[in-house]
Amino acid sequence: MNIQATAQIFTEELQAISDMAKNFASKELVAKREENDHYPFGELFTETIKNASDVGFYGVNLPAEYGGTGMGYSALSSILENLSMADASMAGIIFTNAAAIEIINQASRDTDCSALYNMLSAKEALPIAFSSFTGIGEMEIPGASEKGEITGRINFLCLGGISRYAVLPARESTHGARISYYILDLDKHGIKKSEPVYSLGLHACPGVDVFLEKVPAILIGLSGKGIKYFQSMQSHLSLGAAALSLGILKGSFMEALQYTKDRFQGGRQIINWSEVRMILANMAIEIQAGQSCLAAACNELENGVTEWEKTACAIAIHVAEMACRATVDGVQLLGGNGYMKDYGQEKRMRDAHQAQCLLGMAPVRKMELIDLIIKESQ
Amino acid sequence: MGEIRLTRKEKEKYLSHDPKITDVINSLVTHYKLPKSKALYKQIDTAIALARKFNEEVVKPVYKQIDLNVTQDNEYLCWDVINKANEWGFNTLFIPKMFGGQGMNLIAMYPFVEEIASVCVGLANVVCVHYLGFATLCASWNLKLMNEISREVKRGEKTGNPCLISLAITEPGAGTDVEETMLIDRGRIETIGQKVEGGYSVNGSKIFISNGHVSTWHILICYTNKNKPSGTTVMLAVKNGMKGFRFGHREKKMGQKACVASELIFENCFVPDKYVCMQWSDLSERSSKSVVEVIQTVIDNVVSSTRAGVAAFAVGAARGAYETALAYSRKKIVNGIPLINHQWAQSMLAEMYKNVNMGRAAYMESAYANAMHGLAKTLSVRPIFYADMLVPSWCFTMISPIFNLKIMTWLFRLLNFYRYPQESAEIQSGWASLTKFGCTDLGIINTQKAIQLMGIDGCRHDIGAEKYLRDAKLLQIYEGTNQLNRINLFKNLVGRSMPEVKVF
Repeated sequence: MNIQATAQIFTEELQAISDMAKNFASKELVAKREENDHYPFGELFTETIKNASDVGFYGVNLPAEYGGTGMGYSALSSILENLSMADASMAGIIFTNAAAIEIINQASRDTDCSALYNMLSAKEALPIAFSSFTGIGEMEIPGASEKGEITGRINFLCLGGISRYAVLPARESTHGARISYYILDLDKHGIKKSEPVYSLGLHACPGVDVFLEKVPAILIGLSGKGIKYFQSMQSHLSLGAAALSLGILKGSFMEALQYTKDRFQGGRQIINWSEVRMILANMAIEIQAGQSCLAAACNELENGVTEWEKTACAIAIHVAEMACRATVDGVQLLGGNGYMKDYGQEKRMRDAHQAQCLLGMAPVRKMELIDLIIKESQ
Repeated sequence: MGEIRLTRKEKEKYLSHDPKITDVINSLVTHYKLPKSKALYKQIDTAIALARKFNEEVVKPVYKQIDLNVTQDNEYLCWDVINKANEWGFNTLFIPKMFGGQGMNLIAMYPFVEEIASVCVGLANVVCVHYLGFATLCASWNLKLMNEISREVKRGEKTGNPCLISLAITEPGAGTDVEETMLIDRGRIETIGQKVEGGYSVNGSKIFISNGHVSTWHILICYTNKNKPSGTTVMLAVKNGMKGFRFGHREKKMGQKACVASELIFENCFVPDKYVCMQWSDLSERSSKSVVEVIQTVIDNVVSSTRAGVAAFAVGAARGAYETALAYSRKKIVNGIPLINHQWAQSMLAEMYKNVNMGRAAYMESAYANAMHGLAKTLSVRPIFYADMLVPSWCFTMISPIFNLKIMTWLFRLLNFYRYPQESAEIQSGWASLTKFGCTDLGIINTQKAIQLMGIDGCRHDIGAEKYLRDAKLLQIYEGTNQLNRINLFKNLVGRSMPEVKVF
């Protein structure tokens, strides 16, 4: 088969995934958006989380031999983008799970991780909890004893309240500076969880603060390679983070476009005020630019272009910033209504700002990127 | 080196160029013209200290819980804080002594507002939006009603039953439109006041009314002709319990949850003549200005006062976000060293500090513009300024029946409506818009920066930064969207001397 034919099949598969995500969003997410955004948290997404598992959203970066689809990051990005247009919380769950799996994927290059994969292929083992909103340099990291027992605290462990397993880093007691990744069963004795943390956005993808007291855990990959695994995961999932933010931005734009067509101010459709059009134009430009950047970055990764990591990191930071800025405008275009829960805009604004924290603090990530560029230039 | 001397004509020539001093350095003009600026300073520092004490004792212990309470139950109203504010005398603090208030200068209100907003914008709104209603009542210059309602507010303080005033202007189909006479005739106006024997019969509804459910009086703007609202505006004082008036739903807002945003419903609501603050038919009797021009003056006077207040809210939010991020950065370790010792973080914090202080300088300029050109102008006239400062309250109470004389209303309207200079309108309105959109944009920038600096911790409700972002966003919307305010600035300060310019 020639390259063109392969590309054609790939495009068709991607389109099918995109359509599936759109269908899922319209069936499972749109109608319940406000209900799932509710506080205090109730039975969040229980059915939807299960249905997402049934359609294979948790297995996108899981190797095919362990029940995953192994379709890679273009597919993951497409799913996250399409879901986020409707409700980014589900995308946050899929993202968190994919981040945890990617840690194992990276470790599997060093050691045999088949036992771990087999563990995760069991029913209801997915999604996995993970600190998807925290960079490793800014985390309070628990300690691991020589026996592999974890003691300490993990703040805002995303999905910690609903998942069976968690992937988390720990410092080795024998080598204080060395960080390794572990997987542990969240039902084990010695674990205390806070109530779900009430946060700015992504309410149906909540985190909990977890307190661990000598909790047995399984080492993932090689000891002391935690930072390396995290960085590799960060690069791969940057595309997902960008897609998630882009989806929120697109959703905000589409709602604003419709509203400004439907509503009147000063005797004309709001969209016919040029000041409003300029705001819409800026949003549209950011979407077009973000979309092109994301497609280019996915392409670089799929084709193994050197330095794809830098592109992915830059795009994640850039698109997330754009989404924050644009969703604030997205609320503005609906005026007072944009600020109310009756419309989706205020949620998108909140979600976009929390999504900006995916994979760590944005300024820290910027500094890491420039450090890498400087290092390579020397 | 020789000394350069300007002739008087040269000086006049150069000072007549834009930007004119009187346009852009309002504080300088105010300090030159206002008597007793030392007394003003003392009032401002007292207001700030009072607000800080209120924050420590009342706001800080409860504001996060109130935010959660409303999130869980949208019917929740924070009566505890409302009662405390009443107990502390905040409902009459900025009402002139001649109307039974404490007579603190209105310039002091803005830093007062900033202080409370630096902890919670929602509660700042709960405490201060009462003055939006009061300002609207004052803008009618109906001295009889101003005196009557203000004294009822005072009685409410004495009896422990808060008597707050709200402003009801926004309609389901018209938000921005109702704040500008050039737009309102093209808007979708639905709240109609029909003149009937002995008063008005009102039908329609108002939405997004801050403090609606907790207020006793509602200053209602309605129209007798929906096709020509700009020239048929009526301002009525509606009291709870009036037949045909009821509260509707409460909005589910993203932020400022402590301050209820209410729907007010009027179904054949009869408002007697004695509660008509202002009606277009009275205004048309004068010929020096059209009704529409007078209505625009009323709107300008109200929104110029309140837009500067919104700017102060925004600076409060920007400051709260900055202070939260600063405290966090002193404790947080990032890559092995305290966040505050990362140079990039210091730079971000410096930027946030700058935004707060530039915002404050801007809203104070607007406050000074209001003192010289706006609603508070009358209080800046020397005899009135000294009287309100030096004459004891009981004296005003004794002479207050004088405000019931129609000639008093006539006199104040003559000065404030018909002899109100266009230049004053441009300065106060232009500056209010400048500070409103300038400061509220800075509010968003600072709250976003706080979240960037704090990462996911910045998004946690228990840590507190995220609430400033949610609260700050509304400030870009109410009191005229920032888009409207940009055009209003352009109209008043940029395009005013350019005949080819058309706005709206």
